[in-house]
Amino acid sequence: MRERHAIGLGDGISDGGPGFAATPAAAPLLKLEGLSKRFGALQALQDVSLALHPGEVHCLLGENGAGKSTLCNLVFGVHAADAGEMTLAGGAFRPRSPADALSHGIAMVHQHFSLVPDMTVLDNLLLGQVRGVLDRKAGAARIAAMRERYGLALDPHAKVQDLSVGERQRVEIVKCLVREPRLLVLDEPTAVLLPQEIEALLSVCTRVAQQGCGVVLVTHKLAEIQRVARRATVLRGGRVVARSDAPAQDIDALVRAMIQRDLQAPAAAPVRASRASRPAPGSPTREAALLADGLTVRDVDGVVRLDNFTLVVEPGEILAIAGVEGNGQSELGAVLSGMLRPTEGRYFVCGEDMTRATPRQLSAAGCGVVPEDRHALACVTGMNVAENIMLDRLDRFRRFGLLDRAAMRREALDLMQRYDVRAASPDVPFGGLSGGNQQKAVLARELTLEGLRFLLAAQPTRGLDVGAVEAVYGHIRAAADRGVGVLLISSELDELLSVADRVLVLYRGRVMGTCPTAGADRARIGAWMAGHRDKEDVAKEVAP
Amino acid sequence: MSGPVLAWSRLRPTPALQVSAAAVLLAFGVGALLIAALGVPVGDAVAAFADGAWGSSYALAASINRALVLMLVGLGFILAERANLTNVGGEGQIAVGGITATALALWPPVAQLPWGLAFIVPMLGACAAGAFWGGIAGVLRVKMGTNEVIATLLLSFIAIWMVYGSVQSEHLLRRPMTSSATLPESLEIPVATQLPLLTGDAGTPLHVGLLIGVVLAVAVALLLNRTVTGLQLRATGLNPRAARRAGMPIDRLAIGALCAAGAFGGLAGAFMLQGEQYTLKAGFSSGYGFDGLVVGLLARGSATGVVAGSLLFGFLRSGGINLEMVAQVPTALVVVIQGLIIVTLAGAAIGIQRMEARRK
Repeated sequence: MRERHAIGLGDGISDGGPGFAATPAAAPLLKLEGLSKRFGALQALQDVSLALHPGEVHCLLGENGAGKSTLCNLVFGVHAADAGEMTLAGGAFRPRSPADALSHGIAMVHQHFSLVPDMTVLDNLLLGQVRGVLDRKAGAARIAAMRERYGLALDPHAKVQDLSVGERQRVEIVKCLVREPRLLVLDEPTAVLLPQEIEALLSVCTRVAQQGCGVVLVTHKLAEIQRVARRATVLRGGRVVARSDAPAQDIDALVRAMIQRDLQAPAAAPVRASRASRPAPGSPTREAALLADGLTVRDVDGVVRLDNFTLVVEPGEILAIAGVEGNGQSELGAVLSGMLRPTEGRYFVCGEDMTRATPRQLSAAGCGVVPEDRHALACVTGMNVAENIMLDRLDRFRRFGLLDRAAMRREALDLMQRYDVRAASPDVPFGGLSGGNQQKAVLARELTLEGLRFLLAAQPTRGLDVGAVEAVYGHIRAAADRGVGVLLISSELDELLSVADRVLVLYRGRVMGTCPTAGADRARIGAWMAGHRDKEDVAKEVAP
Repeated sequence: MSGPVLAWSRLRPTPALQVSAAAVLLAFGVGALLIAALGVPVGDAVAAFADGAWGSSYALAASINRALVLMLVGLGFILAERANLTNVGGEGQIAVGGITATALALWPPVAQLPWGLAFIVPMLGACAAGAFWGGIAGVLRVKMGTNEVIATLLLSFIAIWMVYGSVQSEHLLRRPMTSSATLPESLEIPVATQLPLLTGDAGTPLHVGLLIGVVLAVAVALLLNRTVTGLQLRATGLNPRAARRAGMPIDRLAIGALCAAGAFGGLAGAFMLQGEQYTLKAGFSSGYGFDGLVVGLLARGSATGVVAGSLLFGFLRSGGINLEMVAQVPTALVVVIQGLIIVTLAGAAIGIQRMEARRK
């Protein structure tokens, strides 16, 4: 398939779009021509051509596994391309390492931060950039200058470990900007941010571009494209499938290009399709899928991470935990998956006390867990896809003492098809799958747990693209419709509100409030997330 | 489309095998140069080496017996390695196995046991002792977080000196002192407790241990590659937290893996004592545990690799002894060649990895 230039080509320049400084006719800063890259059996990139202009924000779109990260890594010198040319400001550009790319004026903010938590912002900034004597004064001045130029406010003397995720990301961006790069690459920077932080980041992008720097923004979020993108390129299956010079207007076409699926792939179950047909939550004949009673977690420093947490999840209900990350969600997830003992309190699954249960006992009791940290807890990336899907039920494939690989493979293949896990075969290494497919595989395993009655899904859509998010929630919804109680922990408020029946907000380990999602007042939920209690609640507390 | 390509690559010797063979030949070549530099005619040296390694049926059997011991330790090593545990305690496990086998074999009721139990019981005792020795490191690892490399190594030193101690005292295993010339060693174990010879001829001292070893090598290969337990060990080694989340008993797997490694070491000790030496003396293992560790390391997780490596090192040891006796080449040189093989093979392994990475 050849690249399609149909979208937006020749649409002219939209002056009504987001503000930009540079003229589009300027020579491209970085030109990629016919880049290809192969990892084993996977053709990650195929004949990708792209022009990045100074003074513009260029959005790179695509589903998980479309090749966006690979493309960034080629530009940043992490990998070398198998074929194709890169031209930087007119000269051939073949970065041999990230350091080489940096010296050519290309800076990249990765999804995972590389900061030393125990050091101050200033020292993190000076790390690796200083020769000879440390000049903290000059460093602090540069941080101040960043605030001036880009509106990036940072306290140079704050320790990184005390900063929020958004602030840490700001440190990473400042680390890049002090090098005065010609091109700034941001790999999915908004995946970890709160709505207001995203807003701030996008204005930084615009300002950086206005100063003449090229900006590449990798994202799946459509609102962001509309807000900042001067141009956009869509990758799918390692190829450029669409590009646009006026992305704000072409948004529908871009989305279609991004998620266009094969017709034979099973469509995700429509969310909330059968909500009405489910038994009414709280029907007295059924025991609560999950009952948490006064769960309290103190960490090693004695800090209370989860404070007297009590909730009930009814069978067939999806209860969502909302809140800014780091307010006790991780601890709650760890307790409910048997990886952490609560300091106080108990919890019951379908009436059975599971407070001291091991993960194995939890599985036996029908508790599925999609953990927050997929790589640490949910999969073994060094093993193959079939082995990972069957990780908790390997015993089933014992035959005469030996492992029945054929049966395992067969069942894995069946689950892969049912859950649309896209991999060349069940025998390929799990680590080679894209994030979305890995998550679908984990979901396939947890949702097919024998006697599943309760599912804990912690951040199940983190880093997933639109199509995968839809599929994940479709499967979760379908499980709830079968009577499984679901506890969904997520920081994506929009997703929570669209998929859950009820939402509960955690703030500093405490329940700030709870309400049904139907007709939910977003402002009120937002206030809870920020730690503001309702006036009437406060009044009740003051005057009992 | 990939079908025929795959089949073709299966038929051809893998580059890994070619590179390994080249590495071994290179090491031998350098060894030959060194021998020449010592002023010994290389032809004489090669002849002496070949004579000692496989020149007679006795030499061949002795080489295979040596290889057998190395193989057992190596098999135990790769078993524990699958769970990401490094067992460097082979020498100590051999020692406790040897002590236990001697004690049981010299206990009169055991020699009276019928149906071959006379030699089986000391062997099983040695396995149990080795498993216990390995298990200590396993429990320390699981309960206290002690690094198993340190634990198994230090436990080795304890065990090595336990051999020394046990043959120093008549209350323990030392033979009765009849004169001041009585050596500090145990009595010879009764014939019934010695491993039966396969040929029935003492000139070819191949014993039943060979059959047991072959069975165990196949069993380990099957366990690692074709059983649920093998997969569980692998998952535990690669990502213990995910393995635990998936309901695997990771603590039991880790302790079990080190116990098994220890049992293999203990059995190696029993083979050495009941199949070759028949008396326990100080330093009776003389480094087989460490050589076995090297075999395990070079095998990179493959049971076939362990078999190949142990044969190589077994023949090398036998040939080396003769090299010193006949051609007056110091055994130190054999150790040098052994070291060269290790270095070139390890280098080749890295080279192969790079090659594979580049192909990707």
